[in-house]
Amino acid sequence: MEVARLWLGGRGLGTYLALRERLFEVDPLSPENLLVVAPGPLTGTGAPASARYSMTSRSPLTGTLFDGNSGGSFGDALRRLGWDYLIVSGALDEPGYVTLGMVGADDASPAGPAAGFHSAGDLWGRDVPSTLARLRELYPRSEAAVIGPAGERGVLFASIVNNRGRSIGRGGLGAVMGAKRLKALVLGHGDRRPPVADPERLEFIVYEAEKLLKANPITSTALPEFGTAVLVNVLDRAGALPTRNHRETRFEGAAAISGEALKRDHLRRRSACRGCMIGCARRTAVGDETGEGPEYETIWAFGAQCGVSDLAAVVRANYACNRAGLDTITMGSTIACAMELTELGLLPDGPRFGDARAIVELVAATAAGEGLGAELGLGSARLAALHGRPDLSMSVKRLEMPAYDPRGMKAQGLAYATSNRGGCHLRANMLGPEILGVPKMVDRFATLGKAGLLINLQNLNAVLDSLSVCKFTAFAMKEDYYARQLGAVWGETVEPQELLSLGERIWNAERLFNLAAGFTRDDDTLPPRLLHEPVADGPSAGQVVDLPPMLDEYYISRGWDEAGVPTAVKLERLGLLTVAAAAGVPPGRRQARGADADAP
Amino acid sequence: MSSAVLEQFRRIGRDLFVAGVVSSHGGNLSVRMGDRIAITRRGSMLARLEERDVIETGLSENDANVVLASTEINVHRAIYEATAAQAIVHAHPPYAIARSLMCDEIVPIDSEGSYLLHKVPVVHTELTAGSKQVAELLPKWLKEYDIVMLRGHGPFAIGHLLEEAYQLTSVLEMSCRIMTLADGMGEQIREYRKGSERYETW
Repeated sequence: MEVARLWLGGRGLGTYLALRERLFEVDPLSPENLLVVAPGPLTGTGAPASARYSMTSRSPLTGTLFDGNSGGSFGDALRRLGWDYLIVSGALDEPGYVTLGMVGADDASPAGPAAGFHSAGDLWGRDVPSTLARLRELYPRSEAAVIGPAGERGVLFASIVNNRGRSIGRGGLGAVMGAKRLKALVLGHGDRRPPVADPERLEFIVYEAEKLLKANPITSTALPEFGTAVLVNVLDRAGALPTRNHRETRFEGAAAISGEALKRDHLRRRSACRGCMIGCARRTAVGDETGEGPEYETIWAFGAQCGVSDLAAVVRANYACNRAGLDTITMGSTIACAMELTELGLLPDGPRFGDARAIVELVAATAAGEGLGAELGLGSARLAALHGRPDLSMSVKRLEMPAYDPRGMKAQGLAYATSNRGGCHLRANMLGPEILGVPKMVDRFATLGKAGLLINLQNLNAVLDSLSVCKFTAFAMKEDYYARQLGAVWGETVEPQELLSLGERIWNAERLFNLAAGFTRDDDTLPPRLLHEPVADGPSAGQVVDLPPMLDEYYISRGWDEAGVPTAVKLERLGLLTVAAAAGVPPGRRQARGADADAP
Repeated sequence: MSSAVLEQFRRIGRDLFVAGVVSSHGGNLSVRMGDRIAITRRGSMLARLEERDVIETGLSENDANVVLASTEINVHRAIYEATAAQAIVHAHPPYAIARSLMCDEIVPIDSEGSYLLHKVPVVHTELTAGSKQVAELLPKWLKEYDIVMLRGHGPFAIGHLLEEAYQLTSVLEMSCRIMTLADGMGEQIREYRKGSERYETW
């Protein structure tokens, strides 16, 4: 329980274990790397949108600590078996899969872990839907997290997928699983209910929370009706929709790939993670194909970022990624990078902006490791470096930035630059305050005065990923609702500010991991294009990101030194001095200013 | 200090006065800027804030500017020390102050107040303006509630942005006005909120 109080679960617990096991020293694709699989204390309790879990490892794409977070029903299944986490270590000699908590069958066990190791047989080589379907035939009441061909081949941004379209994406944890020759984790059906100390109180808080979710137009109307794709037109009108490898910030084809168009032409029905009242997921169809998605970021990656306005092709590319087990953001943005390299004459016979057929074909080639696909499978940072133009990778710490151009929302640039897992909107998304007015609207072009707001968002998201609840609930709910839900689960008062402090602790621990892995202030940056190439026209015309002063303000506000290292006072306040020492990270020096640089 | 920060102070200060929740020279505002704090000048008029009325000094260490800062600066500093607040609004709303004289917590009966506040604790100290007692007491409560009422004096509200703290202050005063109006009608209130009896446990 002491570990749970300090690290909560999910992402926080994964961070704790990754530091304890010194994963910053291991090759991400070696057997020494670990995969920590962990739901959170709210998973399966009935808290809104809490059917989630995390996987944490060292990323082969970024080299940073990396946690991915997925919905569906796999997290619930873990908790129904009574488990707070699993650690996957080592590697199999031959491709296989693992069953856990099965009743009867070959690893007869009423509820305990009792892992069963099985040869993958003909599962190896199958795509994701086929693998999931076969496992459901073999184990009818099971839940599985699997990799597709991309993970088997070690594509550096391969995903792990559960429930067909729910993915642990972005950082290539599918490749980590593939390197272990582990095709699937299969969970049996448990009947344990996650412990809730005060169920009546939890019911009361959940009722009050759902009132807010029902009242908020984002969670009650926009996301259910259009899914996340509702953002295409919103970001385009703001001049913050990155287009053609971030060369522009508005896309002339935005309407054709919008949430409205997706609903009109492809939506078959809404779907939702278990117990979620928002229901942002989409069941869609194109021609004879049906599947999940695409999400906003996917539409952007294959659409505006590649200059493609053919929504059917975007949907097909999304399906192809889901089948192969590929991260759509990195896939699309890496193709866009290849398109720009081609236009510059650096990639002979490469794809060109606007080529709808190419995006679908290149997804398949990447999954198969064929032709240009073999290079695309390395991600845009390595691809661009291979062809002599590393500046053309729209990535931070080798992770491709998603669909929010920081020249049109300045603090998002700071969010990308300081994200512990690279260019990512899920560590903190300034979409709320800079575009949607959540919690309140701020000047999106202002540079200074936003570090504190961003830090609070980063800390809150660390909490949400550790409780394992969906971030979309935060469009409607403030941190006190999460604290009161956790308080009901634990049977005590949890102060909202205490919860944010735990988030700050997790964030700083992740920073220590990355420092131990060799990352420095120089890695907290953005692609040169965003720093030096003003937007040509539209609502963000003339804008670039003035990052250095924002970064200085951020470090001071974090209680870090000029190099981005947490100071001794900060580490002591967070109870991380021992963790830092064990990781071999000396505390940062106090910043030389008139006032106390260590203030929280 | 950036012009954007000053503009926030000017807008919120003016709105507080126009809303009637501060007197001509009452109330104070602050925002945190890393290891610095920007706070209204002692004796400034919130409705007429100019650049010289917003004082920047250390968040935890004094410099010469502290002689100009609000009387309540130590309370603001203590709140920032204990919480993740980025902004604080302290006002003197009359209906909320009146109600604080009669109860230990304010539980709104209107819809907006119920959604946003549920309950506002009322705390008290012997010395109410800028005292050590207040600086010690309030942060403990603000770790659990975003707005807390100091009996006979006024609420302290925190937020990630100044506007958030202002909203909480405004909603509290409106809720107290509605409660006062409802009290004056002398009729039994017909409950419309499921589970409202549990708001006191919020």
